[in-house]
Amino acid sequence: MTTFENAASETRVSWWQQTFALLAKDLKAELRTKVAISAVGVFTFASLLLLGLATAVLKEVPTIKLLGLSYPATLDQLLGKQQPAWDSPSKLGMLWVLFCFAAFAGLAHSFVHEEETNTVTALRLSMSAGAVYTGKLLFNLIVLLVIMLVVTPVYIAMTGMKIGSPFVFLAVMLSGGVCLAATATIIAALAAKAQGTGALYGALGLPLLLVFLLLLMNAAGTVYVENAPTLRIVKDVGGLFSFGVLIISMSAMLFHFVWEE
Amino acid sequence: MHASELETTEYGGASDNRMNSSAQPDLSIRLEQVGHRFGTRKVFSGIDLEVAAGQVCTVTGPNGSGKSTLLRIVAGLLAPSEGTVSVKANGQVRSADARRDFLGYVSPDLTLYKELSAAENLQFFGRLRGITLTRDDLIERLTQVGLRGRGRDLVGTYSSGMRQRLKYAFALLANPPILLLDEPTANLDVSGIAIVETIVAAQKSRAGGGLTIIATNEPRELEWGDMTVRVDAEA
Amino acid sequence: MGLLMGLMIYGAFFYAGGALGFNASGDIARIVFFHVPCAILSSVCYAVGAWFAVVYLFKKYPRRKALEIDAKSGIAMELGFLFCTLGTITGSIFAGMQWNSYWNWDPREISIVIMLLLYASYLVLRAALAGKPEQRAKLAAVYALVALVPAQYLIWAITRIVPSTMHPKNPLFEKESLSLSYKIVLYSSFLAFTLLYMWLSQLRFRAYKVRTRLEGKRG
Repeated sequence: MTTFENAASETRVSWWQQTFALLAKDLKAELRTKVAISAVGVFTFASLLLLGLATAVLKEVPTIKLLGLSYPATLDQLLGKQQPAWDSPSKLGMLWVLFCFAAFAGLAHSFVHEEETNTVTALRLSMSAGAVYTGKLLFNLIVLLVIMLVVTPVYIAMTGMKIGSPFVFLAVMLSGGVCLAATATIIAALAAKAQGTGALYGALGLPLLLVFLLLLMNAAGTVYVENAPTLRIVKDVGGLFSFGVLIISMSAMLFHFVWEE
Repeated sequence: MHASELETTEYGGASDNRMNSSAQPDLSIRLEQVGHRFGTRKVFSGIDLEVAAGQVCTVTGPNGSGKSTLLRIVAGLLAPSEGTVSVKANGQVRSADARRDFLGYVSPDLTLYKELSAAENLQFFGRLRGITLTRDDLIERLTQVGLRGRGRDLVGTYSSGMRQRLKYAFALLANPPILLLDEPTANLDVSGIAIVETIVAAQKSRAGGGLTIIATNEPRELEWGDMTVRVDAEA
Repeated sequence: MGLLMGLMIYGAFFYAGGALGFNASGDIARIVFFHVPCAILSSVCYAVGAWFAVVYLFKKYPRRKALEIDAKSGIAMELGFLFCTLGTITGSIFAGMQWNSYWNWDPREISIVIMLLLYASYLVLRAALAGKPEQRAKLAAVYALVALVPAQYLIWAITRIVPSTMHPKNPLFEKESLSLSYKIVLYSSFLAFTLLYMWLSQLRFRAYKVRTRLEGKRG
């Protein structure tokens, strides 16, 4: 028979070790099958194309800058006609709407796949619920960040969105990524357990996403204000980031109930 | 409304292992008045059972009577609607989460990752338990379940019999003192069945005595048991 | 019976409200007697629902009692949905009369609509799990608690973060700006709505108990 030593010992494996093991496994499987990235990527690029077509007519409103003041540059402006507000904050908001839909197209995969192929039992026997949550959260975050990294430059090229102050821009993008990944992860866990379709996933996530987008738009405004006071930046970006932190905290506390029977 | 019957049946002259002096007092499973229902449908109730180290207990009953459910409850995967389950390992009673470190579970509803190879699966689940498997370890474990040379193939390409064998490799990763087997020889050929029989025998005779619970209706498997619990379906 | 009395008081004040509202800033302000209690009550309902969710998840009760607690949570959320709807409608009516447009994308308006969606999503989740009571209870409780985070932002943060809102600042809390008759009607309408809520939830809970007893007999 086997000559292994009795490995079932008192010391349990550290939580981080389990988290990273799960993350590594998910990344390896993902690189092999490319399901999540494809779903998110295809959806995002299709939406980008659509957006590009739809907004081709909306151009940044030209103005003439003289002595620090802006003057109307077109006849419509002189006549005081209303211009469509397709400025950089709006573009940033639109980009994030895109990301929201993309996230909800692809980030459910991590949990739904486990439920559908019934590998949940094997995982439950081998690792703690908390480590499962963290591992899945990190996986979703990485997928989302990769997509953001690829799509944002393309979007900027397509729409001419400005970056504003780079540091604040980066802070907003990263905070937004964390919030979105956190929301998508816990809702995916809930919807997968409810054996729900994509429709249920969308329905459950929508209110959370709306609040997230409100906070994001507020923070996006700060990105484009020149010489914005630091306090305001901290308040707005911090507000956005705090949303993500709170979602993660609540999810971490409650995930155990979702995962176990 | 119907309770189970506990019979201590002696098969093949096996002695009552409770008198075995090397049996560990700190390894046991006890069920008291355990019952379960799904929604309003009662599956079973009033199950009393005590299994000690070095024993093999078989659970039998008609289809749908809840044998698999009972095993899931013992494994800590499901909380029973009524009654208490005490699993004592290494001298301490373990909670549902903690006892999974000490048991190996094989069941038809257990599935491993199809997009990974057998070796990758074992390495992953080993890492989760803090076990690093070298190449030699992997070869040895796969040989034990008769999958030598198939370690690099994706589990998705495996036949059902091969997957069943891999489940044993999974269950035995941490050399657990408790084995819970639901339909142990499902999908297995003659050599596979022999492997399972070897595993069960080895579990029984290991140092200190291991503990095995088998849910089955196969007469051949029922012979392996020192005691039998019958779970009857609710009327 | 005591709650039926509450309902009668409520009815009585309906009429009194109309009459006494004269002293407020125009007849339009009378809608405040309905709008404000509804809006506040909807948040209170969420708090009640969340409380029962916490109790369900963290305290171990036998199955029947646990499902009753879940039922109470679900009922609170349903009524929250009801009051939120009423609050949205009354708010919209007020906006229409005051500023001549029924919808303005004002932060307060947005936040109450998102709140409404939140309730709706909760009810959708419950509906999706109709056949599995324990799982429904557990997942609904988790959702209610996770969604507590955006709910808090909606109730407290949005109007502070987004600076401009047309929503009146809170003249109700400044003692001087309210005349006595206005106050009487306002406070009693708070009371009346609260009693209404309690009466409705008792009714629904009784209906739940009857239904489960019937199902038990049939099953």
